[in-house]
Amino acid sequence: MLRGSTPFALGIAVVLTVAGCSSGGAGSAAPSVGGAESAAPSGAPPAEGSAGAADICTAPPKHDGTTLTFASFGGVYQEAQREGWLKPYTALTGVQFQESEESSNATIKAQVESNNVEWDVVDVGNDFGLDGNAALLEPLDYSLIKQDEILPGFATTYRVGDITYGVVLAYNTDKTAGKVPEGWADFFDTAKIPGKRGLWKYSTGGVLEFALMADGVKPADLYTPKLDVDRAIKKLDTIKDDIVWWGSGAESQELIGSGEVAMSMIWNGRGYSAKHTDNKPVEMQWNQQILTADYFVVPKGTPNKQVAMEFIAWATCANNNAAVSDKIPYGPTNKNSKANPAVVQDLAVTNVDENTAYFNDAYLIDNFDAIDAPFQAWLTQ
Amino acid sequence: MLFLRPVFGRAGRRTGGPLVNRWALLAIPVLIFLLVGFLAPLLIMAVRSVTDLPAGSEGDPLTNFRRFFGGEANLRVLGNTFFIAGLSTVGCLLIGYPYAYLMRLASPRWAGLLLIAVLVPFWSSLLVRTYAWQVILRDTGLINSTLRGWGIINQPLDLYQTTTGVLLGMTQILLPFMVLPLFTTMARIDPELTKAAANLGASPTRAFLRVFFPLSVPGVLAGSLLVFVLALGFYITPALLGSPKNTMLSAFIATRVQQQLDWGLASAMAMVLVAITLVVLFLASRVIRVRDVFGALDAE
Repeated sequence: MLRGSTPFALGIAVVLTVAGCSSGGAGSAAPSVGGAESAAPSGAPPAEGSAGAADICTAPPKHDGTTLTFASFGGVYQEAQREGWLKPYTALTGVQFQESEESSNATIKAQVESNNVEWDVVDVGNDFGLDGNAALLEPLDYSLIKQDEILPGFATTYRVGDITYGVVLAYNTDKTAGKVPEGWADFFDTAKIPGKRGLWKYSTGGVLEFALMADGVKPADLYTPKLDVDRAIKKLDTIKDDIVWWGSGAESQELIGSGEVAMSMIWNGRGYSAKHTDNKPVEMQWNQQILTADYFVVPKGTPNKQVAMEFIAWATCANNNAAVSDKIPYGPTNKNSKANPAVVQDLAVTNVDENTAYFNDAYLIDNFDAIDAPFQAWLTQ
Repeated sequence: MLFLRPVFGRAGRRTGGPLVNRWALLAIPVLIFLLVGFLAPLLIMAVRSVTDLPAGSEGDPLTNFRRFFGGEANLRVLGNTFFIAGLSTVGCLLIGYPYAYLMRLASPRWAGLLLIAVLVPFWSSLLVRTYAWQVILRDTGLINSTLRGWGIINQPLDLYQTTTGVLLGMTQILLPFMVLPLFTTMARIDPELTKAAANLGASPTRAFLRVFFPLSVPGVLAGSLLVFVLALGFYITPALLGSPKNTMLSAFIATRVQQQLDWGLASAMAMVLVAITLVVLFLASRVIRVRDVFGALDAE
């Protein structure tokens, strides 16, 4: 009996081993997938500072003996969050933190669906936390979180932005021969500035928006009436042979730093690291950046919901939100939060102007198949 | 595999011995592990592919499969998966056969060294080796900067983000799976046979082609099948060394699982890959004794 089924059983084992080995992504670092929802320029922080005395911002409730599990994207990013938020919060309230460095939308889904929620506060990319994920998330407690102080559109039912970053154009000054690319039109002009171009191969991460802006579409018109995927692809096709596609933040940093590409789309933290950590001749062009955020969400069914909400409210307060910027060039989402003056010029949120674009996350998620299919068809040709 | 041998190997042979001996008990934990760790999730995934349907599918259980086969890029990537897996197999065979033959000819000490040379890279992380290939293949990488330094080329050779790059990386990573079954098969070939052929007047080439090679064919088939099946599931290497044109199906599945949370479609894609792999194994089992492929790794 066993004899007959042997090859088959072993075959299945091998197939599954293969499937198992090949899962687990080539992890992208810090900010994951792109987008903020409504287009609304923030302007300079108004000098309001409404942090009242003895409220949650300065004196959050004590919970000795409570442990929150905090999941984020690891590396320098999570180190900055740990130093800026977790350690001070423990000192103030006695709440201890356990950490995971493997934040993933899929893990949240798996935890909630299996009724085994281990994560209390999760830092996610802009592709998650919208109404479509309602089954997986707790609605945030806006009686605690100061929604009116958060940049418009960055605090919605299930998520609130904890840091902002920009998807920007970076260039290697050794390769651009003294020329400064002024915006995405120059990125697509290989006659003006020769050299290869780096782009993220993810369809809804900004590549289509940048192509449209290069083609003359105004940031405010990117999604009205719809994202013109065909037009974007036509524009991308003009430089197809010059594009080097990257799949993770580390790759983009390496490509632009080594001069493998003359220009690249990049997350501003990665561009900053290429310049200041790797000491490479890399500069960033803030014009026509896309300003987006990472968000805090609370998985549905966590036993520590109340404490999680209090922590989120505290960390997004004006007096606490910018603490992360001390260690990494990601800016606050709270309009009243003041970042360390030494880094303030390196923050995406400081460089916002009328040409800044914003992802329409809800649109990108709802229409993913319609956007992704033609893009993949072109990409794999 | 060693644990399974008493059940599936010796005791399973048609002649002699009871069908299952007491050593078979050792296999029970493994079987339970396979059942719980592999077979059950596979079944759950199969169910999911026909029940986890997107909104507006009106309960048509095949919706996810229609979505998959309706996508131009999906079909191209599926074809590509086979193309790359096939070429990697050929690449491994072209390098692996002479290598295994050399091991067979060498003294035991040298054969051991050659074996270690194949296995040592195998012990370092796949990710590390793939990134190392990136460093080697880039326009600003080792190969191009060396050749340019020597004045052999002016323009960098296109290696990074090309099919060539993917094949180099995959072939290196998969090589042990070709060399080991080949060597095991060759080691079993009685050296007296080629000597006998020479005695009967065959030239060394003729003796190799008419006597040695035909006897090594089971190893060729076994190694090829193993490499091909493993290559079908590759993900990180093509993603890091290739261009999007070299995307393999696993990368598409990962996007659906991790970013889109579209587990229904991801399950359907995975089922397609599993089904195709099983078909390959089934067809192969008509020609090869599949048991030998996976049993060949532990030396007799």
